[in-house]
Amino acid sequence: MAGLEAQGLTKRFGRVVAAREVSFLVKEGELFALLGPSGCGKTTVLRLLAGLAEPDSGRVFIAGREVTALPPERRGVGMVFQTYALFPHLTVSGNIAYGLRFGRLSRRARARRVEELLELVELPGYGRRRVHELSQGQRQRVALARALAPRPKVLLLDEPLSALDAALRLDLRKELRALLKGLSITSVHVTHDQGEALAISDRLGVMRAGELVEVGPPEALYRAPRTPFVASFLGRANLWPAVVVETGEGVAVVEVGGERIACEGEDVPPGTEVLLFSRPEEVQLGAGDLRAEVKAAEFLGDRWEVHAVFTGQPLILYSPAPVRPGETVAFGFSRPPRLLPREGETAQ
Amino acid sequence: MTGRRGAGTVLALLPLAFLALAFFLPLAQVLSQGVREGGRWTSGRLAEVLADPYVRHLLRFTLEQALLSAGLSLALGFPLGWLLARYDFPGKGFLRAFTLVPFVLPPITVALGFILFFGNAGYLNRGLMAALHLPSPPLRVLYSLWGIVLAHAFYNAPVFARFVSTAWEGLDPEPLEAARTLGARPWQAFLTVTLPQLLPAVLSAFSLVFVFCFLSFAIPLALGGARYATVEVGVYMYARALGDTPRAAALALVEICISLGLTYLYLRGGGLFLARDGGGRPLSRVRFPSRPAHLLWLPYLALAVLVFLGPLGAVVADSFLRPWGGKAPTLSWYAYVFSGKSNPFLGTSPVGSIALSLEVGTAAAALALVLGMIVAAVLRRLRSTLLEALLMAPLAVSSVVLGLALLLAFGRPPLAALGRGPAAIVLAHTLITYPFVVRVIRPLWEGLDPALVEAARTLGAGRLRSFLTVELPLLSRGLLLAASFSFALSLGEMTAVIMLARPGLVTMPLAIYQFLSSSARQFGAASAMATLLILVAGATIWLWELAGRRWLARYGGT
Repeated sequence: MAGLEAQGLTKRFGRVVAAREVSFLVKEGELFALLGPSGCGKTTVLRLLAGLAEPDSGRVFIAGREVTALPPERRGVGMVFQTYALFPHLTVSGNIAYGLRFGRLSRRARARRVEELLELVELPGYGRRRVHELSQGQRQRVALARALAPRPKVLLLDEPLSALDAALRLDLRKELRALLKGLSITSVHVTHDQGEALAISDRLGVMRAGELVEVGPPEALYRAPRTPFVASFLGRANLWPAVVVETGEGVAVVEVGGERIACEGEDVPPGTEVLLFSRPEEVQLGAGDLRAEVKAAEFLGDRWEVHAVFTGQPLILYSPAPVRPGETVAFGFSRPPRLLPREGETAQ
Repeated sequence: MTGRRGAGTVLALLPLAFLALAFFLPLAQVLSQGVREGGRWTSGRLAEVLADPYVRHLLRFTLEQALLSAGLSLALGFPLGWLLARYDFPGKGFLRAFTLVPFVLPPITVALGFILFFGNAGYLNRGLMAALHLPSPPLRVLYSLWGIVLAHAFYNAPVFARFVSTAWEGLDPEPLEAARTLGARPWQAFLTVTLPQLLPAVLSAFSLVFVFCFLSFAIPLALGGARYATVEVGVYMYARALGDTPRAAALALVEICISLGLTYLYLRGGGLFLARDGGGRPLSRVRFPSRPAHLLWLPYLALAVLVFLGPLGAVVADSFLRPWGGKAPTLSWYAYVFSGKSNPFLGTSPVGSIALSLEVGTAAAALALVLGMIVAAVLRRLRSTLLEALLMAPLAVSSVVLGLALLLAFGRPPLAALGRGPAAIVLAHTLITYPFVVRVIRPLWEGLDPALVEAARTLGAGRLRSFLTVELPLLSRGLLLAASFSFALSLGEMTAVIMLARPGLVTMPLAIYQFLSSSARQFGAASAMATLLILVAGATIWLWELAGRRWLARYGGT
């Protein structure tokens, strides 16, 4: 059974289309991430799921039941807000217990549930603290505990880590994933941070300008995107205009600036204009017969990021040792490049 | 969201219907008497009123005293604002709190204080006569133009101090420092850089104070008499002393036109000025007193103590020192004020008037709170200038005109159904005070993170529940402040009361006025009652300056 389903969600604000025909399905217990640049409509989609905004068209199903016409308080969703939106007039316990007030729990059962959640988010003994006495990281945990307390069917997270500093963000995203997987709760996690989406989700959807461009497991989307936008948004990418010259047996040979390169690909008729796509880590330095001229090299600590030019096209690759600008280097591919259609824009 | 907008529209109908019935209809009925005769529209009465020499005298005097009052307020208030903005000294918090005085201190207590302190037989003249062995009082300022102007200056100088100090503290110090590096001496830099930047605040305060003084009622009534009367007093006298409602209505129309024009100038000229944010670095302050040059402040400080503390001190002192049966000091005036003995000039006992004031103040504050909340909720959802103008309209109408409108409206259905009790006064005070509730609550409400309510909604609270459990608790202290303000305002309000009063239906400020003006002249009773009002005003200021600040510190950080 589906944990959550969005069917053709469309929302306009005046003349701006914030979400256009957005459809996706989240399996029960699955952690789904919605990724996209700011202003792409991902938060709008989340608000449509929560019932905090009404769609112009489209439907929302939670645990198999249509909830499109229900107000937020009757949808059984929990939400973690970007600003956390903790109630400043209540204590930590008061915040966590807030969503339990409206059920049929006894006072004692409520207190027990609050203790349980404080344990879960590793803040035991913090119940009587006031919200303004907590650090940002602690606030984030309280917001999560508050959203989980009424045992929602679906948990919605709106950029839950963006208010934290970089180091804390990395720690908490590991914890967050472990915690949500431990609970097997269906979740939708909205973020603009590719690393976060790749690390945290079971599957992810990439949005651009109100449209859901691609959906898939993180690794598949990273390695084999179907659009130049996703290829360039999910990480560093070498994207070169190329023309197919030969095909057969899962291999397509393309020409880039007079050089022939063998790529993964089938059924692409010779003469088709395509984009050659490879990740920098798939480019092997010193192995192969292609030549590029180094323009700049940037030291990243564990390696060098090399910016070079190959037949007029920019090439990014990683090198364990320093290379000098002006140097000509030989390179090949540890994994054959893939072919993408020449349509849409890239994210770079 | 269409649903939200729809709910907002329905909500807007509530206050609009209430105002239509209790404000716009009565006002239209009164004002139309000024331009209608025998069922036809006419401008004849307006022309007649404008040609009347007494009305011309009223208009001229009102404008003249307002101009002089605003000028003197500026002269007295600017240095006070300077002190607050540029110096640190013990008691500064008290002084800053004092600048709230004009907003909560009843004018009749100020008038009483002036009579007791500056009057021919007042403390100042008696002190001077004793000290200098003079045969007659040397200062004769009361019952003249200057008495009124001085009382208005007492009342409005703090407004200047507040505007000027706020603007000054918000100034970026860097242009001033740049002027110094370019060769300007301190006083040259002050004249060429600081002063021009303060000018908008000064003009803004000037126009506001001018409107206050133009619409002043209690002070000219108590200190001026028929000769030194303002237009506001004129409307009252035509309506209540002469019973000439059409003439009063025509004069009220003239008054409304002038005051609306002035208010418009105020809003255009820089009413928005105060919303401006200050520069990054705060202005450095100087400890006071720390330099010989600070001695130059002494004459001003002496004058300020005399003008500001003299009258208030005189009221408090007089309530104990005025002999009762030959004995002084005495607590007998307080015993009298709290007695149930009927007073013929009040038509009730003094304690009866205190009870009525508390009753009216509580009811008006409660109603103003509800009405103000609804209006704030409506204006939060539907942003429309027209709607805002309609919903805040009572702010633009003077209290005498409002009182007159309600006086006539309570004589006929549907408002007559509310009876001849204090309902009319409660309604008047609700209409006078709810705009202030809106002004306090609306920015607080709009400042709340909308995600708080959304969080409550996703946690299972419905619209009403999330309002009751999240928004209301977060606004509660603001509501308490607004309620205290409404209560204090109602307790001190005399203008609408004097229009609506009947024997027996007399509130505290009106009782003070009766003690002063009746042939019995019971100054001791007036002082004791005025001291009670000063205490209420002081408590309100304390709540605003201390509790209000602490509250902001508590919730502002999160």
